[in-house]
Amino acid sequence: MVSVINTVDTSHEDMIHDAQMDYYGTRLATCSSDRSVKIFDVRNGGQILIADLRGHEGPVWQVAWAHPMYGNILASCSYDRKVIIWREENGTWEKSHEHAGHDSSVNSVCWAPHDYGLILACGSSDGAISLLTYTGEGQWEVKKINNAHTIGCNAVSWAPAVVPGSLIDQPSGQKPNYIKRFASGGCDNLIKLWKEEEDGQWKEEQKLEAHSDWVRDVAWAPSIGLPTSTIASCSQDGRVFIWTCDDASSNTWSPKLLHKFNDVVWHVSWSITANILAVSGGDNKVTLWKESVDGQWVCISDVNKGQGSVSASVTEGQQNEQ
Amino acid sequence: GKELDGEPTVTVRAVNSRKNQMCFDWGPGRLLVSNEPPSNKKEMCSCPFIYIIRKDVDRIDERLTGKIQKSQLVRVSKNYRSVIRACMEECTSVFAAKDPANGRQFSSQVSILSAMELIWNLCEILFIEVAPAGPLLLHLLDWVRLHVCEVDSLSADVLGSENPSKHDSFWNLVTILVLQGRLDEARQMLSKEADASPASAGICRIMGDLMRTMPILSPGNTQTLTELELKWQHWHEECERYLQDSTFATSPHLESLLKIMLGDEAALLEQKELLSNWYHFLVTRLLYSNPTVKPIDLHYYAQSSLDLFLGGESSPEPLDNILLAAFEFDIHQVIKECSIALSNWWFVAHLTDLLDHCKLLQSHNLYFGSNMREFLLLEYASGLFAHPSLWQLGVDYFDYCPELGRVSLELHIERIPLNTEQKALKVLRVCEQRQMTEQVRSICKILAMKAVRNNRLGSALSWSIRAKDAAFATLVSDRFLRDYCERGCFSDLDLIDNLGPAMMLSDRLTFLGKYREFHRMYGEKRFADAASLLLSLMTSRIAPRSFWMTLLTDALPLLEQKQVIFSAEQTYELMRCLEDLTSRRPVHGESDTEQLQDDDIETTKVEMLRLSLARNLARAIIREGSLEGS
Repeated sequence: MVSVINTVDTSHEDMIHDAQMDYYGTRLATCSSDRSVKIFDVRNGGQILIADLRGHEGPVWQVAWAHPMYGNILASCSYDRKVIIWREENGTWEKSHEHAGHDSSVNSVCWAPHDYGLILACGSSDGAISLLTYTGEGQWEVKKINNAHTIGCNAVSWAPAVVPGSLIDQPSGQKPNYIKRFASGGCDNLIKLWKEEEDGQWKEEQKLEAHSDWVRDVAWAPSIGLPTSTIASCSQDGRVFIWTCDDASSNTWSPKLLHKFNDVVWHVSWSITANILAVSGGDNKVTLWKESVDGQWVCISDVNKGQGSVSASVTEGQQNEQ
Repeated sequence: GKELDGEPTVTVRAVNSRKNQMCFDWGPGRLLVSNEPPSNKKEMCSCPFIYIIRKDVDRIDERLTGKIQKSQLVRVSKNYRSVIRACMEECTSVFAAKDPANGRQFSSQVSILSAMELIWNLCEILFIEVAPAGPLLLHLLDWVRLHVCEVDSLSADVLGSENPSKHDSFWNLVTILVLQGRLDEARQMLSKEADASPASAGICRIMGDLMRTMPILSPGNTQTLTELELKWQHWHEECERYLQDSTFATSPHLESLLKIMLGDEAALLEQKELLSNWYHFLVTRLLYSNPTVKPIDLHYYAQSSLDLFLGGESSPEPLDNILLAAFEFDIHQVIKECSIALSNWWFVAHLTDLLDHCKLLQSHNLYFGSNMREFLLLEYASGLFAHPSLWQLGVDYFDYCPELGRVSLELHIERIPLNTEQKALKVLRVCEQRQMTEQVRSICKILAMKAVRNNRLGSALSWSIRAKDAAFATLVSDRFLRDYCERGCFSDLDLIDNLGPAMMLSDRLTFLGKYREFHRMYGEKRFADAASLLLSLMTSRIAPRSFWMTLLTDALPLLEQKQVIFSAEQTYELMRCLEDLTSRRPVHGESDTEQLQDDDIETTKVEMLRLSLARNLARAIIREGSLEGS
């Protein structure tokens, strides 16, 4: 059974579109149609407003915490076509960088695994995906994938970092050769998998087709050391699929339908050890799912959103910071 | 809960209701973690229970037979139960003492614990003890007596009164004693009645005799089951005869008792209130109708007892279903029902683990963990990680999950908030003990970055050394050097002086260490050594170009000494370096910004250096010329 452990009254003046716990589960960032991003300290069941960040000129769709090794950094994206990176310096939160490289609403932001450096992927309604890489001293390098999805891109999610070959200690100063990958979901009903080539360019590696309407969210599950890779996707068509690929080299992804809901499904999110999937949808419910012995996905709880209880992201603790 | 510390066994008491960790379904109960180590175990571990138990069993495995093993397991099971009971007592005292307003909360907490113990106890009897027909009933009787405790307070009331046999509840007491098979005590009560009303003395005595002569299997009794059955049959028939003869017709109470002792269902059901629950009804029924019941027949009686007792008025509750599943010997069902009913993983995780040790669980191939035991332990351990101090317990549990324990630990351990250095060190120790190098690296990096941002360079340096992070070590070393340039002195000298082999981590760090060594040598007046070192730092290219000016400036006092320190050869080298620096030719690999600034001060410095070098060269040549050979 799932129970509410905390309710945070954010005092947002309009709909809240995203709520994300930081890496340690001590802070909560929320963003809203009221154009603000708020950060709360939620330790020990409390809620203390730490920051009320203004800077966007439209509804803010998503927030994402970077890995703590880079400090306290939060990214937000908005209808105003901008991505803002906020940073905490000496106890105060300030705008650290603004990326205005999109022609339309930016719908999703996701930080890459910290092993790759400080890299942010952004998906936009202009169909493009941009990748911001921090190069030092306040500078960010931008790579853009144009026309990643026709009509628009709604979601981006990074694959966990896996070093190919053995994990022997690298000679000092050298970075291991990671193969960087991420997944994106778009208005073309597709999920696409992207891979960085040796020359630094990003190439579309796979197309996953199963949805009959806009893909609203994708979530690449954390790695638990098994050779399988797993991706969850959800769509306007009310369906949630679990995609699995048994072998990194085989490249065949097979979808399994988790459930067909009666309304649009907005978000999917994995628990830290990837054993529980949280799904939230237009039917005003958040449900938690787990794979059972015989490979079927079973709903292990039901949390009604409307009744003053917080969405699954709080009870599930830290989610897919990847 | 208390902060757990490294090695020794620690008791974690039932935690207060504010720490909502694992919630129960049946009530507003809250966190329950209770691991009280058995007193004779002083094993090292911050997770007393499961670890210690495992040690126990492992030791036995190498020794002897199943029999000993079983008794050990039973003992372990009893320990668990005593823990639950201790918790109940703790709850009672803590909560009741503190706040009467918490009364409702604490009473439901206690009832949940009581239910847990009830279930565990039954599982112990059926699955671990595996009591056969005969002893089975005795165990079940004990079980019921332990959990339906009103008898004692009733007894105290009645016996404490002036005229016990005239007390309102006298007959209730006698009845419930009979229902619980406590016939000796019942007889004593009856003798009081006999004393008080001589008219009924006769029938009381007869009843007393019946009670005395009921055949029952007592521990240590050597009669066989068949003998017992036979005797019991005879006794039963004797009771039957008394009923037929209406011997007790004058006393409705005694007649009712007789019917109970005959196992008459209707009579038993009349005592619903005293029985208070269906499993009491079940056991009493078995006692007086089939005392040698076989384990495999239990479920039939259980189901019908439940049905009869509820009488269609209410439906079974989760607890009832769990107990039924146990009577049916369906272990998986028990675990499943418990998992659903209790949103707390402690109970199922530990019970399952114990049952696994009894080799009772067939291995289901689960995605998570190779079997149900690991699956549940993983769940329980994950839950512990959300708690500020119980995460250490979680570590130990993960250690006992052979399939996914390690990777789960890897994922969880990085998420522990590192509020204090002490906590960070604890976490790192855990990782290092398990060779989780990636996690060590990641955590050290986080700490190093934090230290840099707070300008604690020494701390940052030691974290980056621990993380074996060359790039970061370089970054921090640069900061140190920059600081030195600005302030003219080093911070954290101790650290830099004692780098040892760690110095090799990065070139910049090596330079930092060597540069400091130069200063030390100079301080110890080992000028020749200092001079050589200084020069080698430049010629070996360990020193970053940006620092050369500083190094050359450092050379000045050595050049100005009365005795000649730099040889002619060395002086030529220095001059070459200076020219290199001032020529403003972009050197391969260096950026524009690192070139010499066209500054008045810089120009003066360069002039001074040139002069000094020239003078030293002259002196060196003269000195070397006047020595024998060269």
